[in-house]
Amino acid sequence: MFRNLRELYQYRGLLLSLTQRELKARYRGSVLGFLWTFLNPTLQMVVYTLLFSVYMRQQIEAYAYFLFIGLLPWIWFASSVGGGASAISDRRDLLTKVRFPAQVLPASVVVTNLCNFLLSLPLLILFGLFFGWKPSWHVVALPLVIVTQLGVTLALAYLLSAINVTFRDLQQIINNLLTMWFFVTPIFYRATTIPEDFRLAMVLANPMAVMATSYQSIFYDHQLPAAGPLALWAGIAFVLLTVASIIFERRREEFAEVV
Amino acid sequence: MSQTGNMDAIVIRNVVKHFRKSTIRREYTTFKSELVRWLTGKRDRGGTRFIEALRGIDLVIPRGKTVGIIGRNGSGKSTLLKLMTGIYSPTSGSIDINGRISALLDLGAGFHPDFSGRENILINGIILGMSRVEIRARMDDIIAFSELGDFIDEPVRTYSSGMYMRLAFSVATHVDPDILIIDEILAVGDEHFGKKSLGKMTEFKKAGKTIVLVTHDLSTIERWCDLAAWIDAGRIRRMGAPGEVVDEYRRAVALAEEQAQVMVPAALAADGGALPQVQAAPPATRPEVEISEVRLLGSSGAPVSTLGAQDPLEVAIHFTARMPVEEVGFSVVLHTKDGVRVYGTSTFREQVPLPTPLPPAGVVRLRLERVGLSPGHYTLDVSAHSAEGREYSAFRDRCRLSVEASGEGQALPPHRWTVEPAPEALVSSAPLAQAVTP
Repeated sequence: MFRNLRELYQYRGLLLSLTQRELKARYRGSVLGFLWTFLNPTLQMVVYTLLFSVYMRQQIEAYAYFLFIGLLPWIWFASSVGGGASAISDRRDLLTKVRFPAQVLPASVVVTNLCNFLLSLPLLILFGLFFGWKPSWHVVALPLVIVTQLGVTLALAYLLSAINVTFRDLQQIINNLLTMWFFVTPIFYRATTIPEDFRLAMVLANPMAVMATSYQSIFYDHQLPAAGPLALWAGIAFVLLTVASIIFERRREEFAEVV
Repeated sequence: MSQTGNMDAIVIRNVVKHFRKSTIRREYTTFKSELVRWLTGKRDRGGTRFIEALRGIDLVIPRGKTVGIIGRNGSGKSTLLKLMTGIYSPTSGSIDINGRISALLDLGAGFHPDFSGRENILINGIILGMSRVEIRARMDDIIAFSELGDFIDEPVRTYSSGMYMRLAFSVATHVDPDILIIDEILAVGDEHFGKKSLGKMTEFKKAGKTIVLVTHDLSTIERWCDLAAWIDAGRIRRMGAPGEVVDEYRRAVALAEEQAQVMVPAALAADGGALPQVQAAPPATRPEVEISEVRLLGSSGAPVSTLGAQDPLEVAIHFTARMPVEEVGFSVVLHTKDGVRVYGTSTFREQVPLPTPLPPAGVVRLRLERVGLSPGHYTLDVSAHSAEGREYSAFRDRCRLSVEASGEGQALPPHRWTVEPAPEALVSSAPLAQAVTP
């Protein structure tokens, strides 16, 4: 894993350029351009707010804000995993024509979406202020949560991108799984809504549930996130990333031949 | 060992490259089997079939040399280049590279259609291994070389294919590698840019860089390379002076065609689709009549390689006849460097009386009063053959001729221009203007 990360650092120029390119390319040619980074999650939030605070009433104060807290990291995660799966298989042009460090590709998808996430954080704060939620000192815990999520996301992106090279059904499967995953993650409802009997299991087994509740603690409840689950997933992220790196490394030589 | 390593840019030892057949045929296996294979990293050697692309390559590319690689389609040329570049890794064997390597296997890797030329230079340059600082420093050179002008700030999707290639080629050649690997892309853009890119290559050569070149244009290999390597059936069949290697390759291809050898994909054939063996012109089968030398002579009788359209030209064919041959004819064919036949004639066709039997040695001369060709580069093929067309000996692709004149196309008939006013508008009886091409 460390070799993998070191190589990533070595190719940081490439990673940076690819990320920049993705960020620029995404909205190139659209009238609103970069504003879509903010508009997309906002519109999504509006729909869910309408659904859950008007039609199916949730007893949560400033519901739109609460929803937005969970939605932003989810979008980062879902687009990274969804896009990461095809990160290698879509880039035949690069892999077969130049000597190209393949591990940069999934990483650049994850980092691109991380940038989008970070850029929309100010919007989140603004939203909070609108509803009367001032950010508190608890945001110091935010980097820890982000790094943990980055680890999990990166590991999944490596794993899926490597498998998807030979097993193309994966990207379809993943997109469907992500839809289900979204609904079992406490984003538009509080984790406490989950029946007591399997609440702990549902939260602990789902990294995104841990992440969402952590973000909610920081931004909504003005608390430090629960250390236990977060530490657990930081550990799992480490192991997962190591395993994913080994598998990715082992398969890497074949990518150019198989994609 | 390490000393020779410093001398040589690329050392390839006994490299074998297999591809799994299912990979090539794009058969994706089932989820379960694939996942098991995947996670264990084990290859099901018994069940999968392999395609042997390279079957043991030994090749040493000396530093500072330009090496051309030839071989028929599917013989493994591109696979070898991809191994050198590090895109593929060898199944077995070793490849040592000494120096920074840059490959022009495909132009414009990572180009994004919505980005401007300038932005794409940056991305493409980084992908090719340059740093941002290096690219910024060379940006103006790259843009100047591409001759795109104001188009450089337009999105690449609006480019013509020629412009696209020019931009990509410009970036690729400004990487400044120690070893440059080129796959069949010298023919970039129009005539003018083609010359320019050849000039760039020459610059590389002069700078002492190692160039590995794959091309089917055999005359490029002969003109350009210091060495030629012929890959046949996944092995190096011959390596040596370009002229000799190309010559043997040509004969092997001709022989294969004669024998109507079925050209199956080389890598799939059991024997690797090797071309038939040719005798390397052994003395036992020395031709009855041999052309030892062909000289192009100008008006003064001195050898020429460049001449004007109106100049005379003499083709002096030196021959030796090993035994008295009754019926022999000489033919001369002139073609452009693209292989378009411009003119051809023979002593049989023109019923030129030759002494029978032919003297043991002599010269046949063909005199053209004026060359009458438009400007360009031409090649003369001379051969000696029997009345039935059996070839005794030939002198191909070795006589080159450049014509300098104004005009285009291929022929340049003697001509002059005049302008005359219409009869009713005749005020002065003299022609208005008259010009004669010199």
